[in-house]
Formats: sequence, structure tokens, C-alpha cells
Amino acid sequence: MSDLVVRCHSISRTYQDDSVPVRALVDVDFEVARGEFVSLAGPSGSGKSTLLNIIGGLDRPDAGTVEVDGVGLNQLSESDLSDLRLHKLGFVFQAYNLIPVLSARENVEFIMQLQGVPAGERHGRAEAMLEELGIESMADRRPGEMSGGQQQRVAVARAIVTHPVLLLADEPSANLDSTTTEELLKLLRRLNEEHGVTIVTATHDPLVMSYARRQVRLRDGRIIEDSAREAA
Amino acid sequence: MPLKLLAQLSTRNLFRHRRRNLMMLLAIVVAVAGVILTNALIRGMQYDMREAAVANLTGHIKVLAPGYLDDPNIEKSFRLAPDWQPDVPAGEVEGWAARIRIPAVIMSERETRGIQFVGVDPARENISFLGDVTLIGEGLKDAEDGRVLIGVELARQLETEVGRRLVIITQGLDGKNREAGFRIAGLYDAEGTALEKQFVFTGVGALQKMVNADVVTEVSVKLQDDALVTDDKLELDVKSRLASFFSTLDVMDWQELEPQAAAMFVYVDSAILIWFLVIMGALIFGLVNTLVTAVMERIREFGMLRAVGMKPSAVVMQVVLESTIIMLVGVSVGIVVGWLLCTAWLGDGIDLSRWSEGIEMAGMRSRLTPRLMGHDVILVTVLSLVFGVIAALYPAWRAVKLKPLEAIRR
Repeated sequence: MSDLVVRCHSISRTYQDDSVPVRALVDVDFEVARGEFVSLAGPSGSGKSTLLNIIGGLDRPDAGTVEVDGVGLNQLSESDLSDLRLHKLGFVFQAYNLIPVLSARENVEFIMQLQGVPAGERHGRAEAMLEELGIESMADRRPGEMSGGQQQRVAVARAIVTHPVLLLADEPSANLDSTTTEELLKLLRRLNEEHGVTIVTATHDPLVMSYARRQVRLRDGRIIEDSAREAA
Repeated sequence: MPLKLLAQLSTRNLFRHRRRNLMMLLAIVVAVAGVILTNALIRGMQYDMREAAVANLTGHIKVLAPGYLDDPNIEKSFRLAPDWQPDVPAGEVEGWAARIRIPAVIMSERETRGIQFVGVDPARENISFLGDVTLIGEGLKDAEDGRVLIGVELARQLETEVGRRLVIITQGLDGKNREAGFRIAGLYDAEGTALEKQFVFTGVGALQKMVNADVVTEVSVKLQDDALVTDDKLELDVKSRLASFFSTLDVMDWQELEPQAAAMFVYVDSAILIWFLVIMGALIFGLVNTLVTAVMERIREFGMLRAVGMKPSAVVMQVVLESTIIMLVGVSVGIVVGWLLCTAWLGDGIDLSRWSEGIEMAGMRSRLTPRLMGHDVILVTVLSLVFGVIAALYPAWRAVKLKPLEAIRR
């Protein structure tokens, strides 16, 4: 298996916004190696979220090729993309997007249930993950009974409990205060360093960028800077 | 896709908007209970009409001489062996009766009327309305009783009473008119004037003597109601046995003898289905509206579910399950409420005697009792669940129409 988890070659994406074409990505080449913690940064409309969504199989490029863990996404059907997202990717969304009628534990178990993981194994992994993320006391609470930071931790737990090859986080700190953001980032860094989870996050929050070991800056749909640096 | 997970999600989502779903549930309960009750009343009317038709000296199956229906007179008669019994297993036949039924003229001191003169064995007439009538005076003692039993209404028209004599003229087997005097044993009250005006009864032996012929014009067979319910081929089977025994005679069922009542019986089956479709069809719009609202409120959630790998078919299944669960609960409670209305509230039936003349014209009797039938309950249940699935299809399509990314951004 290749050491590259993500390989985007010459991808472009144009949207129609009120019949006006908007070039979100222009001929972008982008690769992520296993175990990297990458932040995609840039102002609104720079194309960072579009790139993240294309990597996550939620959007398709107009041109160019995308591979995730060696699988070419361009040829996959919607159903195959669903399977890929279910088995290889973890998502952390800006608005947490937990299932409101399920408890924290059930939310963490949810994707494993979709994967068909046996109940005993599922319960054990969920308990361990909640404990590792320090939210075991929230296990029986529903999202509406938790703070934003707690909900985002549950969302991270749900995303990584299945051991995805790639964790995609779109503006994970957008709804969090700076203290909670820092706690979340320390958690992500720990997951990256101790568990080798590959993370790609789209953000315009300098604090989030500072925790990533590689920053990729985009502007007007193009990568203008790709640099490795010491994380904070 | 684990069905248990989808069922869990669907059930909990129903509790998410309790008031809205409770209102929907109540609407389903009221509609189903209403359908159950009205179905039971319509069934009651349907079977009452059939029973009235069967009890009207018809029976479920009748043996007649060829041509009797077109020209009913004593010449269209046949001999019946004294020891004859219908060749039908015990428990399937409630009873049978051999009769002479011929047109006649009846005269009192003051009035004259045309009637159907019927010679009966009173011991066998528990299968006809004669077994249920209220008597003023006496009934006929046996098949040889030479007195007559006339209706209350006919007595009023003839201006006569119990114990008085009447003269009856009819045609004998030789074609000559026969005239005889009969004393009135009693008057019968049949809860309606049509039968009371039409039929005058005497012993079949006495009438055979009057027409000077040891014959009957009909054999009427009534089947057990319970056996008819459990075996829908029983009527045909018995008819076939009688037809092979009486190969030279006409063997007809009640549908052939009372075509209007039979047509109504079939029509009611359709009416029940149409009534159900109208009520539940109207309800479906409410259910669709509720489900669409629920889906649109959760469109981001559905987007997230699909983003993390849930297949569109599973999302559709989730919405369908929500609809099915609410329908299943509503139908179950509705059936129980409907059953209680049929038994506890209207178990004794509805007294329609105030409109007895109009009801009689419709072939019904004066007390309408709801008749809750198992296959109607099954029909309501199955069709309601089918409607529940159909109602969910459009909301489910709305749930998966958007791509996951578009749904999450909403």
C-alpha cells in the first residue's frame, strides 16, 4: 500500500452561483502522507472546503483525479462512495452534527453499527474512546444536554472510533470558544501523534493552523503555499 | 443496514415532536375507529338484509318445480317422499321445510284480498320469519292443523279477528277452483306490514287436502350461519348435492331467488372498500404533511447520515419506518376503540323501529346490530399499513433528493 493517503492530481471544480460560474479549485495538485496533520487555510471562497469535500467523496471534481488510500474516487458510484466514507473516512463537522435522539455513547457507536460491528465489541470500543477523550461521564447524555466543546469531542470520538485512514475536519473550531478550541486541538494532535491518525482540517482559525505540522494555503482556488513547520 | 438501528432512530424521532405526532396519532385513531364502526354497521345492515331475505320463506337454497317462479301455482309442484332428509352433514344445516305456496283469494265478511296461501309444518318453520313472530291468539299446532294464521295488518284490512272464519279460494291440481272456510287460530306480528299482508299460513296437510294432491311446491333449506362463515363453498356444495338428488327440479340459491338483496350484498362489499379508501385517503394527506415537515426539519441530519456512509435506501427506510410505526400504533388503538364502540356502546344494536316501513322496503329489520368481522379488521390493518408506506414515499424522496453536501449546508 502506498504511503500516500490522499493524492489529488490537477483537480478543478467550478460552481454555478446564480448562473455565474465560480472557480472554486483550479488545477490543484495535493497529496497527504500517512500520519500527517495538515491544515488547509485561506479566506472564505479560497477553495479549502471544496478540496476537503472532494477528498471526502462528498463532491466530485470537474477535472483531475482523486485517490484516497489507493482508491480512485472518480470512477466510484454514489453507493461505492458511501461505502468508502463509511469504512475509510472520519468526519468532524463545523456544527458537530450529532444525532440528537441518541446519547453520546450511541452516537459514538452509530457508525460502527452501520459497519456491522458486533454489539459487544462496539460497546467496548465506544466506552474506551469516551474514556480516552475524557467524556465518559457524558456517555448517557444526549447532544442537547452537552456543551459545544463536549459535543465536538463526541463528534471526534464518533469519527475516529472506527479507525479511519483519514480524519477530515471542516472548521472544527467554528462554534467553540478559544479554551475549548485549544482542548480540541490538543486532542487532535494527541490522536495524530500517539495513534498515527492522518488529519486534514479546513480552517481559517490561526489557532487551528498553528497545531498542524503542515499548512497549505489556498487563494482563489489555487494552492499558494505548502509548508511544513513545527506545531505549537 | 441494521433494521434494529433504523427502528431505534425512527421510534425516537417520533418522540422528538410529541405534540405533533400525538395529534397525527389521534387523527389515525379516530379515522380507524370510525371506519371500524361504520364497517361494522354496514356489515350489520348487509347481513340483516341477507337474513331477512333468507328468512322470508326463501332459505339459503330452495327446491322448486320447473317454471314455478314464472307461474307459481299448484300445477308446478312435486311429490316428496315422507322420509326425505337433505343429504348434508349434520351441523351444516340449521333446518329445512317442505311447503305448499300458492296464490289465493281470502274473504272476510267485509273485505277481499289477494294473498300467498302457505301450507307449512309449524315444527319446521324455525328457519323462517314465522319462527320469530309475535303471536296474538294461537299458532298452528301441526301440519294437519286446518286453521289459519294471518298477519296483524291483513286482519286489520279484512276487519276480522282471532276465532272468526274466513273463506279462501285457490286452484286445485285439477285446475278447478277450491273454496274452503278456515277459522283464524292467531294473528302474527312480523314487525312490518309487507309480510303480514302477503302470507296466510295453514297446515301443509290441510292444504294438500284442499287442493286434493299429496304434493309440495317447495323445499327450503337453511344452512348454519357459523358453517357459512367458515366454509364459503358450503352453499355451493349443498346446492350441488340437492341438484343431483332432485335432478328434474330447479335447485336455486337465495341470490337467484332474491337478486335485489344479492346485488345489495355484493354492492356493500364494494361500498365498504370505497368508504375506507375515502377516509384513509384523506388521512394520508395529513400524514404526508406531518412527515414532510419532520423530514425538512431534519434535512441536515439526513445529510450528515449520508455523509458518514448511510445509504439512501436506509434513509428511505427510516422515513418509511417512522410512518409505519405511527400508523401501526394508530391502527391498533383505533381497532380497540372501534371494537369497544361496536360492543360496549352499540352491542345491543340500534332501534330503527321508528322508521320501520322505510327500512322494510330496504329489506332490513328494525334493529341494526353492528357486525365486526375479522376479515374487515385485517383489511383495515393491512391497507392502513400499505397507506402508511405510500404516505412515506414522497417525504422519503425529499430526504434523499439533496446530495449529502447540499443537505449539510442547509
